[in-house]
Amino acid sequence: MLTDGDSRRPLVVLRGLGKSYREAERERSVLRDVNATIGRGELAVVLGRSGSGKSTLLNLISGIDLPTSGEVMVDGICLTGLSEQARTRFRRRHIGFVFQFYNLIPTLTVEENLLLPLELNGRRDKGRALALLAEVGLADRAASFPDRLSGGEQQRVAVARALVHDPLLVLADEPTGNLDAETGGQVLALLDRLSRAAGKTLVMVTHSVEAAGLADRVFSVQGGHLVERAPLLEDS
Amino acid sequence: MSRVLWLASLRHLSRHAWQVALATLGIALGVAVVVSIDLANDSARRAFALAGETVAGRATHQVVGGPSGLPDDLYRHLRLDLGVRPSAPVVEADLAAPDYPGRTFHLLGIDPFAEGDFRPYFTGNATAPAPIDSQGRGDMAPAPIDSQGRGDMAPAPIDSQGRGDMAPAPIDSQGRGDMAQGDLLALLTSPGAVLLSAETAAELGLKPGDTLTLRVGSQRRQAVLAGTLLPSDELSRRALADLAVADISTAQELLGQVGRLSRIDLLVPEGPAGEATLARVRAALPPEASVLPAAARTQILEQMTRAFDLNLSALSLLALLVGMFLIYNTMTFSVVQRRALIGTLRAVGVSRREVFALVLSEAALLGLVGTALGLPLGILLARGMVRLVSQTINDLYFTVAVRDLAIAPLTLGKGAFLGLGATLLAGLPPAWEATTAPPRAVLSRSHLEAGARRAAPRLALGGLVALALGLGLLLLPSQELLPSFAALLAIVIGCALLTPMAVVGLLALLRPALGRVWGVLGRLAARGVVAALSRTAVAIAALTVAVSVTVGVGVMVDSFRATVVSWLETALQADVYVSAPGLVSNRPDQTLDPALVARLSSAPGVAVANTYRRATVTSPEGPVELIALRLQTGPDGLPDLRGNLYRFKEGNPRTVWRAFTSEGAAIVSEPYAYRHHLTVGSRLRLQTDRGEREFPVAGVFYDYGSDQGVVMLSRSTYDQLWDDRGVSSLGIYAAAGVQVGDLVSSLRALAGDSDVLIRSNRALRAASLEVFDRTFAITGVLRLLATLVAFVGVLSALLALQLERARELGVLRASGLTPRQLWGLVSAQTGLMGLAAGLLSLPVGLALAAVLIFVINRRSFGWTLQMAVAPEVLGQALLLAVAAALLAGVYPAWKMARTSPAAALREE
Repeated sequence: MLTDGDSRRPLVVLRGLGKSYREAERERSVLRDVNATIGRGELAVVLGRSGSGKSTLLNLISGIDLPTSGEVMVDGICLTGLSEQARTRFRRRHIGFVFQFYNLIPTLTVEENLLLPLELNGRRDKGRALALLAEVGLADRAASFPDRLSGGEQQRVAVARALVHDPLLVLADEPTGNLDAETGGQVLALLDRLSRAAGKTLVMVTHSVEAAGLADRVFSVQGGHLVERAPLLEDS
Repeated sequence: MSRVLWLASLRHLSRHAWQVALATLGIALGVAVVVSIDLANDSARRAFALAGETVAGRATHQVVGGPSGLPDDLYRHLRLDLGVRPSAPVVEADLAAPDYPGRTFHLLGIDPFAEGDFRPYFTGNATAPAPIDSQGRGDMAPAPIDSQGRGDMAPAPIDSQGRGDMAPAPIDSQGRGDMAQGDLLALLTSPGAVLLSAETAAELGLKPGDTLTLRVGSQRRQAVLAGTLLPSDELSRRALADLAVADISTAQELLGQVGRLSRIDLLVPEGPAGEATLARVRAALPPEASVLPAAARTQILEQMTRAFDLNLSALSLLALLVGMFLIYNTMTFSVVQRRALIGTLRAVGVSRREVFALVLSEAALLGLVGTALGLPLGILLARGMVRLVSQTINDLYFTVAVRDLAIAPLTLGKGAFLGLGATLLAGLPPAWEATTAPPRAVLSRSHLEAGARRAAPRLALGGLVALALGLGLLLLPSQELLPSFAALLAIVIGCALLTPMAVVGLLALLRPALGRVWGVLGRLAARGVVAALSRTAVAIAALTVAVSVTVGVGVMVDSFRATVVSWLETALQADVYVSAPGLVSNRPDQTLDPALVARLSSAPGVAVANTYRRATVTSPEGPVELIALRLQTGPDGLPDLRGNLYRFKEGNPRTVWRAFTSEGAAIVSEPYAYRHHLTVGSRLRLQTDRGEREFPVAGVFYDYGSDQGVVMLSRSTYDQLWDDRGVSSLGIYAAAGVQVGDLVSSLRALAGDSDVLIRSNRALRAASLEVFDRTFAITGVLRLLATLVAFVGVLSALLALQLERARELGVLRASGLTPRQLWGLVSAQTGLMGLAAGLLSLPVGLALAAVLIFVINRRSFGWTLQMAVAPEVLGQALLLAVAAALLAGVYPAWKMARTSPAAALREE
């Protein structure tokens, strides 16, 4: 049963997770025997080189993709055992996404972009959408279309969209990768503030050292394995 | 589904308004073409049925005779001696009104005293003929009929003309029920008195007492307008528009058929009583007469045009098929353009089913708007089409005047169903494709295109399967047309599926040459087409289908024409042809004045005059076009053909002609033999004026004059068995040393005022080819419309493709490509797409032509045609494809060349 559940129980459990792709005649293994748990309200950062498998890991956690081996548990639900339709419904209800390239719907206004996850969940809470927009400092841009916004503004809308339907888990895939350092910093701070304020679990894939600095837990993908490291600030 | 999702979808459509508009236009044109052909066919059918109902009225049965009709004694015998009532004599014919070119009248000679309930149009109570119940009552409750089929009035005395003395006719000079005795007297006694509908009289500017000239064969007769008929409703108005009503004796005089009737109408109740009446009538009939249900005539004539209707409908569906490609194209583009977006939607939790529904709803919306536009456009188009269709029916089948376009709700409903159905069907694959978009943000274009290239062999395999299916359907031993059209569709779809693979192969061949000529840009242009195969292949396939239809139909028409030209050269051997002018066509449906025939046949300068009589006779299989041929015989007793007048498909000419002239054998045309499964040695049965007779078939000859086929008998055989002495036309050979031009002039002088056509061989050949070209005019129009739809499709595809590449082209501009070079690159790509479509359309078009010529034409009409491929048809097709593609590339090339590289690079 999906509830906020026992606060002591980890929200995300990865067990023996493996993912490989077929490339021509060769099998390329991206993730191997990944084991990890992420607790509720934690901010976990996954570091790694380009192509190391970080984004694949997010796709597996969100149920977008299925592992070759192992299992993914979110809030006690084994996503790997669900049908495609059930995983879509799970994602719709419990996951919020922030992408590197924002991926706002260009034909919807800023406000409508926020209404979309709400409506998909059967809610038409315009007040909630506008309140969150105010929190990200874009209340005055509610009626604008995404292409009229700067990159930083678009990513702030994306952050609001990820949180608007009150998901259990927010997944962010290099959310600052397309932004300058200053704007990236602002977006990171916003993501950190809002997700912590709402008590959400945030898993963020990034290259940003600054992001790692905010994290409760830091992982890196090395040779297909997920290795937990001490939080960056403690290292330094 | 979420309202916001709908909004996103609608805004996407509105942001690609031109793409949506072109797709909508495509489907609207497709629907319009189908609806217009259907409406035109339906209007002609209705006009014919209405004309039939008008003259048949409420009759349940008709007694009919041979080409010379029935003796009017028969009517007196049936009515007076046998008491067969209600019964009414009719004399009728289609006549031209020379003072009003193109106008024909159906002269209906009736006995006002016997009319009773037969034709309610004259009583001011117009209704369609009503079914008669077992008591003989129709829904207008005519007088009860007893078990003898008699009405409950005492049998009325019949005068010497066979007229009953029932209450005076329910016809007045205004077409209402209380005719003044004076007017009735005028109709009955004034020479040439006729009634026209008030509207027709006003249209022609005629008032009672005015003269109306009618052409009967080669002679003109004067009719006098005795009064007008006032139709009581719209149906009667249309029914009466081309009717000239006369007293029976007036009609006989006008037509030169004194003492003869065209038919006798009967009102017979259903059930045993009616059967008994019919049995009594049959027993009393002379050998040439038979009793037919009144509806038989309309049914038989509808059957005649069935293949014609079906072929037109099939051709019109091709336009819709091309329209379907357009919708498929647009929706595929729309999905491909939004693949990343759909991926995002999927990532945030939109289900596959919702994505599917969204895309299909968009297609339905386009279909709905396209159909809504297509229906009125179809009605507009139908106004032109109905003229072409009715002209062809007049040229080939029978006389029908289609004055109004009948807009049947069923036809419109069918058009709407087809439009929406076709759109949804075309939208299914892209909707399915959309559901496969993985729920992740970014999927590289190269990955997508690699997928499209990988799919090409699979599609090609599907194409081969479709082709094999089509071939299998063609090999089915059947005369049915539907499997043939299904095969044609399978071939078209098969070829479309082969297109991606063929494009990859073709451009691999062209690339080195382009590289040598234009360097990197040449290679880039070629690679660009293959690199965007997911988009380009659909556009190329749509253009290929449209152009191949043009090639297929073009080669078919050319082949048909070449065959007809060659046949005319053989069949038209005489130097001069004489015939009565047709009503509204070249069909020899009128006869020549016998005195004129004698005068012209013996004119100085005439070496040989062969006579032709074309008449419709009945047979157990229905009406048959019969030609009675009198050929002058040479010294060997065989016809003096002055050349090989008929080419025989079966039978040795010497044996055939001997059997034909001296043994009473028949020769039949190829379509007739095909339809009735006849071969040399078979026997056919015809209803003659001496009863039903059997004729051996001596030969089968090639003939392209009638798709129903004809039976030919020698004139002497005809004269022995039929009482008709009419001559439809004369074929005259000039004596040695006489110039044809001089002979034509002297014959015209001899003909004097007679309305006859005296034409040289060359003139008749030209007139025949004119009819041929007129027959195929509608095919040309449909071909043009299909091409127009395809052009819209290509324009749409190329616009989408080039505008989508804005960023890539911006990079090229930023790298130093001049606007002119950019223009060249875009044009080279669109030109290459056109070239690919053009080259692919040639084999596909030839395959379609072969199916049309050797299968569909044969199954429809039974003709053997020689396939003639004119190189210019192929050249035109190639040119059409390249020109359409280049033209469609003009706007995107212009737009891209004008856009600043910075703006293009900024665009998402």
